Amino acid sequence: MQIYLPIAEMSLNALMLLGLGGMVGFLSGMFGVGGGFLMTPLLIFIGVPPAVAVGTEANQVVAASVSGALAHWRRGNVDFRMGIVLMIGGFIGSTLGVSLFTFLRGIGQIDFVIAVSYVLFLGIVGALMVVESVRAWFRSRNPSAPRRKLHYHTWLHGLPFKMRFRRSKLYISALLPLGIGVFVGILAAIMGVGGGFVMVPAMIYLLGMPTSVVVGTSLFQIVFVTANVTFLQSVNNQTVDIVLAMLLVVGSVFGAQIGARVGSRLRGEEVRIALGLIVLAVCARVAWTLVVTPDNLYSLGIGGTH
Amino acid sequence: MFPVKRRFARCCAIFGALFLAAPAAAQSIVVDLSTREVAISTGFTGAELLLFGATEGSGDIVVTVEGPRRDEIIRRKERVAGIWVNGASVTFEKAPAYYRTAASKPLDEIAAPAILEKLQIGSDRIDLFTRTAGDAASVLTFREAFIRTKKRQALYSEDMSDLKIIRGRLFRSTIPFPVNVPIGTYQVTVHLFKNGQLVSSEKTPLTVQKVGLEAKIYDFAHDHAAWYGAIAIAIALMAGWFAGVIFRRA
Repeated sequence: MQIYLPIAEMSLNALMLLGLGGMVGFLSGMFGVGGGFLMTPLLIFIGVPPAVAVGTEANQVVAASVSGALAHWRRGNVDFRMGIVLMIGGFIGSTLGVSLFTFLRGIGQIDFVIAVSYVLFLGIVGALMVVESVRAWFRSRNPSAPRRKLHYHTWLHGLPFKMRFRRSKLYISALLPLGIGVFVGILAAIMGVGGGFVMVPAMIYLLGMPTSVVVGTSLFQIVFVTANVTFLQSVNNQTVDIVLAMLLVVGSVFGAQIGARVGSRLRGEEVRIALGLIVLAVCARVAWTLVVTPDNLYSLGIGGTH
Repeated sequence: MFPVKRRFARCCAIFGALFLAAPAAAQSIVVDLSTREVAISTGFTGAELLLFGATEGSGDIVVTVEGPRRDEIIRRKERVAGIWVNGASVTFEKAPAYYRTAASKPLDEIAAPAILEKLQIGSDRIDLFTRTAGDAASVLTFREAFIRTKKRQALYSEDMSDLKIIRGRLFRSTIPFPVNVPIGTYQVTVHLFKNGQLVSSEKTPLTVQKVGLEAKIYDFAHDHAAWYGAIAIAIALMAGWFAGVIFRRA
């Protein structure tokens, strides 16, 4: 069943898009991640223009994160003070990111920058995940090994504008979450992701937040930042395809529920190793597109600079 | 199947009328299209139009179809440290977004190159202007690559066997539009050649446009971008919230 996507200006099979949404939703439900980092490259692989894939995916992540954010809010797992500081940073970062995106699109380098960002961040995060989970897995089989220290005090804790975050039991500089928010906001705009895969580790390892509030607070921030990206991409680039986003949303909400049920029966370390391997596989696939000689060296665009 | 049948019936009726009609002014061409509007709607996967007509007396017929003109930029990838990056580019100003030539036999058997050049018949002969700085040889390379890339996207095409002449007077041809066809006004031109000389030309316009919900979404996204963004967010928020409610109950 072919459906014409008005913004992507192409015809794709609606059932395939629902299936794609379901598959990525399943993985994101199982692993507790947003799924944007899987969906955007997959959309590009099936021929959606990268700029449209990124803009549309931001819109889909809004839908994917809001139900999770509400669920965590009801359970009291959101640190609003922290979430708002992260969100302010996220607004600044995503606004900068969309401007950068528009500029790169004008000079014809956006596809390249999207691909390089994916290779870089998926490579780093995937490798860290695999290494960390393999270590944890060995530790769990060998409980006599020494435990690591819980808190590290570095120069980051000496920054000014200290703020108290009661829910997270932290007294740290507001510049730290603000900076993380800015950075993740830029990534969200350029890569079409929520940025949870960068923010969650940053909250745990850099801020030292308790894991119970990390996911809820991260989802809270992602809803607002991806909403901002959706709005700015619509205004600046007209690259948000509502029809495509809705098909992916419908597939992913169902997939996510099934994935969450399957994921709860698996062991934490094994799930993280599997997720790490998937992240590395996507990274390798994107890297391949950068190094393999394209079958046509030339590409066309409308308008452009004189 | 109904529209196809109807189109065929209409076609037959016009062919019949042409046959019965008294001889018109000398060397004239009559042309019509199966439709003058290509509608891009939900199920659009490309379209094929039928062009048909009649001429006064025999001759060679060449059909050209030219899409809306716009500035198009072509970029060449270059290998930098093992990675392919967009490098040099050339902007061709007011280049036709779509171009097709169809004829009953190879163009060089119909008219001399100079005449074809003047009429811009054949995708290799389209005028492409650029203000991008560069030597003639490199601009020529980009020009050839532009035409080649357009052909790969099925936006430029040539078919010297797709024009059928029936009993020396009636002719028909097809105009294929791929799914990525640009919207706008198209110009269909039918040329009649006799003994290598152009004796008559007939122009017919054609529009390609999005219709229905697709058109509304596309227009809204471009004309009211801020509202479009706000609505996209609202729909996503509602869908996410709604999904949460359903599955909490289940």
